[in-house]
Amino acid sequence: MIVCVAVVGHQNNPLYIQSFTDADDALKLHHIVHCSLDVVDERVNNPKKSGPTLNDTFLGLLYPTENYKVYGYLTNTKVKFILVTTDLDVRDADVRNEVPCCIC
Amino acid sequence: MGREVSESCIDSLLMEMVSTYCNRFYANKPELAARRIEAIGYQVGHQLSERYTMERPRFTDHLEAIKFICKDFWSELFKKQIDNLKTNHRGTFVLQDNHFRWLTRMSIDQSPENGASSEPSIIADDKAVESMHLYFPCGIIRGALSNLGIPCAVSADISNLPACSFVVRIKA
Repeated sequence: MIVCVAVVGHQNNPLYIQSFTDADDALKLHHIVHCSLDVVDERVNNPKKSGPTLNDTFLGLLYPTENYKVYGYLTNTKVKFILVTTDLDVRDADVRNEVPCCIC
Repeated sequence: MGREVSESCIDSLLMEMVSTYCNRFYANKPELAARRIEAIGYQVGHQLSERYTMERPRFTDHLEAIKFICKDFWSELFKKQIDNLKTNHRGTFVLQDNHFRWLTRMSIDQSPENGASSEPSIIADDKAVESMHLYFPCGIIRGALSNLGIPCAVSADISNLPACSFVVRIKA
């Protein structure tokens, strides 16, 4: 289940954050999104040298926390889409298909 | 996202926009009119580049982004690609379009064969008017490149119509 969606601009300014759980978790989700921005920057600046993942827009699983998994997607104009989900058995490919739907 | 508009509408709109800014809004201040038109182009290019880069993988360097402008971006806007791309490998690119779509409907006052009755000032005026029409596409290119993370300055060169060249200078 997706608990939070965030759209962050190219200067790391938040454009849209929406959490889909009870109110007391919202701040924690904001913190998680904030931390994941650093991970995105790391992934962009130190790309893994393997060919197919070099310039992909979809960054995959950014990092797992205790209850959540965080996925990232980076567009050409440096707009970041962050997706926080609680599904423990969700696969990369499923999330990869969901993000382009969110954009349109 | 499937709405369409006729091309002659776009042509008329652009010509009217240039003429309004030059003759009504900033009647005696061509530099201000030029800057406003270029700013409109900047906004348009900014938003169009967001839309057209949606599906593709990210760019590795400046040359990739310029090639995207020359091929995909230009074909979306003008249904053709840039005909010639030159670079000095030090941050300057020249994009040459041999048949620029928005200038094809513009007449060029050719100087008459005898040359005696042509006045240099009339020819200069024609060039000034035509260069006004090129601020909008310059703005589009600048807006698109800025959104891809490449600040630059774009100018146009119309020494031989209907071909026109856009010179892109990347700010280091």
